[in-house]
Amino acid sequence: MTTTAPSSTATTSAQPGKYLTFDLGGEIYGMSVLRVREIIRLCPVTPVANMPRHIRGVINLRGRVIPLVDLRARFGLPAALDHDRTCFIVTEVAAANGGLRPYAVVIDSVREVACLTAADLVPTPDFGGAIDDRFITGMARTESSVITLIDIDSIAAADATAAIHDPAAGDQHAGDQPTS
Amino acid sequence: MTRRGKNDALARFFLFFRVCRRVVELQARIAGSVSSSCPAMPTDSAISVARGLLQKIGLELAFASSTGVEGVTTLRQLLESLAESLSQNAAPPELGGMATAATGWLTGQTALNSEIAAHFNLWHPWMEDALSAWSHGLPLPALPTALPTAPAASSPATDSAEPQPVTVLPEGADDELMRLFCAEAEDLLRDIEQGVLKLEDAPDDADTLATVFRAFHTFKGNAAVMKLVVLQRLAHELESLLDAARRGTRPLTRGAIDVILAGADVFSKYVAEAARQLDGHDAGRSIPLPIPAVVARVRSVLSGEAAPVAPAPAAPPSAVPFPAKPAVPPAGVPVVATAAAAAPAAVAPAPARAAAAHGGSIRVDTQKLDGLVDLVGELVIAQSMVSRGAEARGVDEHFARSLGQLRGITADLQRTALTLRMIPIRGTFQKMTRLVRDLAGQLGKEIRLVVDGDETEVDRTVIEEIGDPLMHMVRNAADHGIELPAARAAAGKSPAGTITLRARHEGGFVVIEIADDGGGLDPARLRVKAIERGLIPADTILDDHDALELIFAAGFSTAESVSDLSGRGVGMDVVRRNIERLRGTVEIDSQLGAGTTFTIFLPLTLAIIEGLLVAVGDQQFILPAVNVRESFRPRPGDVTTVQGRGELVDVRGQLLPLLRLGRHLGMETAVADPMQAIVVVVEAGHDRRGLLVDTLVGRQEVVIKGLGETFTGHDSFAGAAILGDGRVGLILDTTALVRLSPTRAETAA
Repeated sequence: MTTTAPSSTATTSAQPGKYLTFDLGGEIYGMSVLRVREIIRLCPVTPVANMPRHIRGVINLRGRVIPLVDLRARFGLPAALDHDRTCFIVTEVAAANGGLRPYAVVIDSVREVACLTAADLVPTPDFGGAIDDRFITGMARTESSVITLIDIDSIAAADATAAIHDPAAGDQHAGDQPTS
Repeated sequence: MTRRGKNDALARFFLFFRVCRRVVELQARIAGSVSSSCPAMPTDSAISVARGLLQKIGLELAFASSTGVEGVTTLRQLLESLAESLSQNAAPPELGGMATAATGWLTGQTALNSEIAAHFNLWHPWMEDALSAWSHGLPLPALPTALPTAPAASSPATDSAEPQPVTVLPEGADDELMRLFCAEAEDLLRDIEQGVLKLEDAPDDADTLATVFRAFHTFKGNAAVMKLVVLQRLAHELESLLDAARRGTRPLTRGAIDVILAGADVFSKYVAEAARQLDGHDAGRSIPLPIPAVVARVRSVLSGEAAPVAPAPAAPPSAVPFPAKPAVPPAGVPVVATAAAAAPAAVAPAPARAAAAHGGSIRVDTQKLDGLVDLVGELVIAQSMVSRGAEARGVDEHFARSLGQLRGITADLQRTALTLRMIPIRGTFQKMTRLVRDLAGQLGKEIRLVVDGDETEVDRTVIEEIGDPLMHMVRNAADHGIELPAARAAAGKSPAGTITLRARHEGGFVVIEIADDGGGLDPARLRVKAIERGLIPADTILDDHDALELIFAAGFSTAESVSDLSGRGVGMDVVRRNIERLRGTVEIDSQLGAGTTFTIFLPLTLAIIEGLLVAVGDQQFILPAVNVRESFRPRPGDVTTVQGRGELVDVRGQLLPLLRLGRHLGMETAVADPMQAIVVVVEAGHDRRGLLVDTLVGRQEVVIKGLGETFTGHDSFAGAAILGDGRVGLILDTTALVRLSPTRAETAA
């Protein structure tokens, strides 16, 4: 989280290094490979009721119960149906106890591992609120594309507060009276 | 001279020894060789209690030889009371240590033999002097170093003053505790050695100083717990040396560092030998340790003198826990061997570090452990999937047998993996010992705590959670259960009350009993009280057992006067709730006048629960079977709606609030009509609620997993588990669902 740039500045806090790039809503995103544990195919997801919409639920990764977050929903991008290239990236994010905890995200499709040099990194432009820029550490420009670099720690850290305060949880069916 | 005759002689000369001792002590003071530590001033009552006890001990000592076993028992009780009273009043550690040490001499003795009698003849006057020094805030007189200061018993049959081979391990010491002590000591000593070597280069490194100081402090505390008084004393000395360095009053010189290392070596030697003996090598052997010498060196460094360099040994090095040779001639003439006189610098060079390689235990990161348990759980599920698939396809006998074997191994593996999380309940019980002692003092009662089965192993999480409820119940037993000594005497009971803590495994449960032999509870009074407080209607008819159960009701307190210890009205209801949170139960049994017993049943492990699988829509949920009372398909008319209270379901004449699980969770249900669905009655404490689900799927043992930080603040689920098909199933938090207020349930619905 300390790597997240304050939204008011146009600098980048992203570091040069290897990034896993992936597609999401027609754009290219990247996250540091150091945080990627594995990439898995679609597997059964157990929804958890009364949670914000972007939290799809939990999955079983060899006996561990791991939260699964839909990055499209998290970034406010239009929802899309899962297809055969949709996959889950299992990452490791900072845990409250100072360690790491597994955290999975749904993305449209995986592209490649890109080596980004300092020269590739460009300051974050103003997104005008389209994407919550607290989750973005910077941008990178390569020969063919522009990559938005995301901070998976900030994304994960925002969930806990969302679970308590986000009223879009969906359990409050106002006006739905019990039958008599 | 016969033994009897000797004892009589000792009794006669008792007064004479005291006079001798006084003279010697006076000389020592004049010579200025008394310890310079100034203890805090005690209260008058602490002194008078201790004086009284010491006087009684003096009388007992004089008569002990003629009364035999009885005399020794009384003596020991008096000594224990003295040690307790001293420690409660924060007496200087030497004073308490000597009282404890003296108790130790009597362990296993049936009569005072001449050796022990001689010890006491030194001990008694020292205690009197020390007590009066303490009461005046003066420095304590020097410890009579000729006295053994750790509890151990020598064979009472021999009269010889020759050194007897005694064990390094205090008799009656718990082997397992001793192993823990050794394991931790090895770590601490390693820290000390590394730290001290670092200090040699940078004597002003405050962090390292603090680390080494803490390590000695911890070691001292541990030694005190193990009653290794000699080690404790040396650790104390070294600690003061480091403290002086830490405060900057005495920088660490080369000499000081040498002394610290010498002290650490003494400890290492002891620990290595103790560990060896624990493993059954040369058990009972004693080893000479130059503790007085090191203590003397520490003192001289502290007082600014140059450390004495290898003077001729004036006294034999003391063995632990007995001196190799008690410096007491048979006639009993007190010889005061001061620490300064006994200073052989026979310090062995750093012994080869006794590696922690020999068996024992290793410490493992709990996360690794949980990871292993997770994987094993996964293996069990995978194994059952293979078995089921094979059975469906039909397999030959050979393969079926192999599968059976695999099933057996995985089951064993799972059991073993789960026991890795189990630790003895000892630590929790030990805290109660302290609590009871403090309470007895505050309440003016005599209370004995008997602990049984403290080696019983319990899940780590249970240990963490059970401490508070246990403490509350023990406090209740001491405060409300045990009567004042006068009342007990009037009832024909021994003035000292007894609280018994028992733990055992029984039928897949851990059973913990808290019993007192106090006044017991009066069902009639409980009933009256409950009516007074409006907890039950005045016309309620209760049998005795139901009346006893009333004390678990919220806002119930039986104390005539609310004390600051317990009886604040938050009591047994909270205890019951805490125990239920651990998926356990608590029962009460009480006989008026004879005492009360609480019995707590806890699951062996919190890692696995028996789950009832229910389906809502296309999702399966797990209900902990222990919270499920019954389930049925409602008939027309069973489900009714009451304005403002939501839906109710009629369970054999009792109306329970009904929660439609699908609606509560905002899910599509497969069954719209309650008459086609199933009502599961769940219970939390005394509250019940009907849960409407689509179908019952079955029962399954599941390994509980946390949902993790992402779901912090979620109040419907207690966790998750991997189901037979590999999907994640969510475990419903029955307590939260049952206690959901009707209005909340209605808005959610």
